[in-house]
Amino acid sequence: MKPRRIAIALVVLLTSFALADDDTIDVVHMQLVERGDYLVVTTKIQKLFDEPAYAALSTGFASTIVINTFVYPQNGNDPISAQKVVRSVVYDIWDETYIVVLETSAKPVKVKFQSEALKLLTNIDGLPIAPLADLPIEDIFYLRMNVLLNPVDKKTLAEVQRWLSQGTGGGLDRGGEFFGSFVSVFVHPKIGDADRVLQLRSQPFFRPKP
Amino acid sequence: MVLGAQLVCATSARADEPAPEPAPDPHEASTFHEDDEYGPVIYIQAIEISGNTATQTEIIRRALPIAPGDILHASDRRLRDTRFKVLALGYFRDVTLAMRKGAARGQVVIEIHVVERGTFVLNKLWFGSTNVAPYWVGADVGERNLLGLGISIGGGLIYASDGEVDGSRPQWAGELRLADPSLYGSRWGAFGSLTLVHGSEPYRVAGTSSADPTDFEAFPYRRFGGRAGITYDATALSRISAGVRAEQISTDLPVAPTQTLPDGRIESVDLHLDPGASKVVTVGLSFDRDTRADPLLPHSGGRITASAELGSAVLGGDYDFATLFGRYEHWWPLRSERSAIGMHLAGGVVIGDAPLFDRIYISDVDPMLTPRALGLVLSNAAPFDMLGTRPDKPSYGELGGMASIEYTQRLFRGSGKNRVYGGDWFIGAGMWALAETQDLRLRDSSFWSSLPADLYGDAGVRIDTDLGVFELTISNALGRIR
Repeated sequence: MKPRRIAIALVVLLTSFALADDDTIDVVHMQLVERGDYLVVTTKIQKLFDEPAYAALSTGFASTIVINTFVYPQNGNDPISAQKVVRSVVYDIWDETYIVVLETSAKPVKVKFQSEALKLLTNIDGLPIAPLADLPIEDIFYLRMNVLLNPVDKKTLAEVQRWLSQGTGGGLDRGGEFFGSFVSVFVHPKIGDADRVLQLRSQPFFRPKP
Repeated sequence: MVLGAQLVCATSARADEPAPEPAPDPHEASTFHEDDEYGPVIYIQAIEISGNTATQTEIIRRALPIAPGDILHASDRRLRDTRFKVLALGYFRDVTLAMRKGAARGQVVIEIHVVERGTFVLNKLWFGSTNVAPYWVGADVGERNLLGLGISIGGGLIYASDGEVDGSRPQWAGELRLADPSLYGSRWGAFGSLTLVHGSEPYRVAGTSSADPTDFEAFPYRRFGGRAGITYDATALSRISAGVRAEQISTDLPVAPTQTLPDGRIESVDLHLDPGASKVVTVGLSFDRDTRADPLLPHSGGRITASAELGSAVLGGDYDFATLFGRYEHWWPLRSERSAIGMHLAGGVVIGDAPLFDRIYISDVDPMLTPRALGLVLSNAAPFDMLGTRPDKPSYGELGGMASIEYTQRLFRGSGKNRVYGGDWFIGAGMWALAETQDLRLRDSSFWSSLPADLYGDAGVRIDTDLGVFELTISNALGRIR
């Protein structure tokens, strides 16, 4: 096979793999307001929950969402501000109520209906995202929001996938295995670092002159 | 006065802005943490497991961090970890949990539903073509959940045709392995294996770095033996192993093998084997800790491995020797783990009168050479001479190691809907070294031209799929054709 054909085949292969990319960012309109010394955001993140995730709210096991916010200058790659908030809900199967814990207080809120619990979890109302002092007047910024449903910490992920790197050891020879740097394993389920991930980006914004 | 942050496209009206409120304290926003417990206190009345047809229920039950009779918060971490503990067995594609009311108020029944998957594993595929073996083909396969008992069984078989090297013969090797990583659900495990190798080992009789078959001769050998031992999971990510190895080596060594050097001198070649039949008996200890969240496409975490093995006449063997090996690799994420820098360090030392097969082989440290397969040497290619260092680098050594740096970048990540989880491209370079003890004591040329070390590089693409990891790399390709 000629090198050109090999190159074309590789490009086609990689392109087809790239089609599997789920790493997309949704651009949504968010309300961004100065409040006191902070810039706050109001938006909704219901899209994080698909049907199975919504149904899981009533299983009796806790569902947790982690909202990471990053404010970027329009032409920069380093965030000038980063915030993390955690919200969680668990269904009390005996009281038949949803107990929701929001980021602003550790005191839980009880609601009767699943839809109410979802609303509390996914409505972001006036969440502070950056001190105004960090946002020069008339500079242009945008907000990136990375929302994770039931995130899995790295230690747990390592534990779950450890069997993949156990190797075939036990033979007479260590052979190249001891020095080797890679494993080849066939048929394995991938465990993501969260049940679902939602990546949002706001419209560009700036602070007008007073 | 409250000012609204306006859109550049100026579509938001100030009338939309909420009324002034007290400024929020951002520190208050972090009062709740993922690990905080809340919600009702529950009593686990029973745990029901369904969906498992091949895997025995007891295997799943042993893995659970919860048990009937436990009293905990509904948000307790142990409940969240339950799913992952079951998934960590490696036998299931998915695990779902549910809870229903128990017999009395506050009591619950935990329902665990598993979706089994195939646990047949193809560990390695061997194929390629070189001077020593015009073709070789083989595979190493395994079943990780034998009869649903959680026992792993596997083995490999390889055949390599004989090439043009004098004295060579067709080679083949087979191996059978059995392991139980968790005896009765405990942290203790056990393993055992049997290996038979019918080989033909090439050694250089002329030249220094050519792969010309006429510069080599080969001698036949046969190895039969086994290894058995126990493992202990010190933590969820760390394992200690101890074992014994007993092996019989039968060989028909050439009488007084020699190598003719380029200047016409002739020197003897030490093949590091006792003539006829000999025995190798060893005891060993090893440690492994792996913190990589994704061992297939790592962007964070690390792995450290160390092992020591001692062979002695006291144990009944014919060789007195010891080996020490260590390996460390670590990944530093960059740009929110979209890329990473990886560092690999590995090294070993062989002390004493070790048999040939226990010495460090050159492809163990130079990834651009054909690796051994079940102990068989499949190539006589010399390493690339990139630095102009010692031209006649040894094939086997007593001191060896490698150090490399790799940059890897995410090409894409998928959810697996298309059976593809992700792909990375990478580029790396490193240095390897392999020396015999005598090289360190004496040299008859400059330091640089006697240095048994060189560089290697690698680059390519790794694709992680439902069917396994596919590597399209330079070293992988070179290892099949040189």
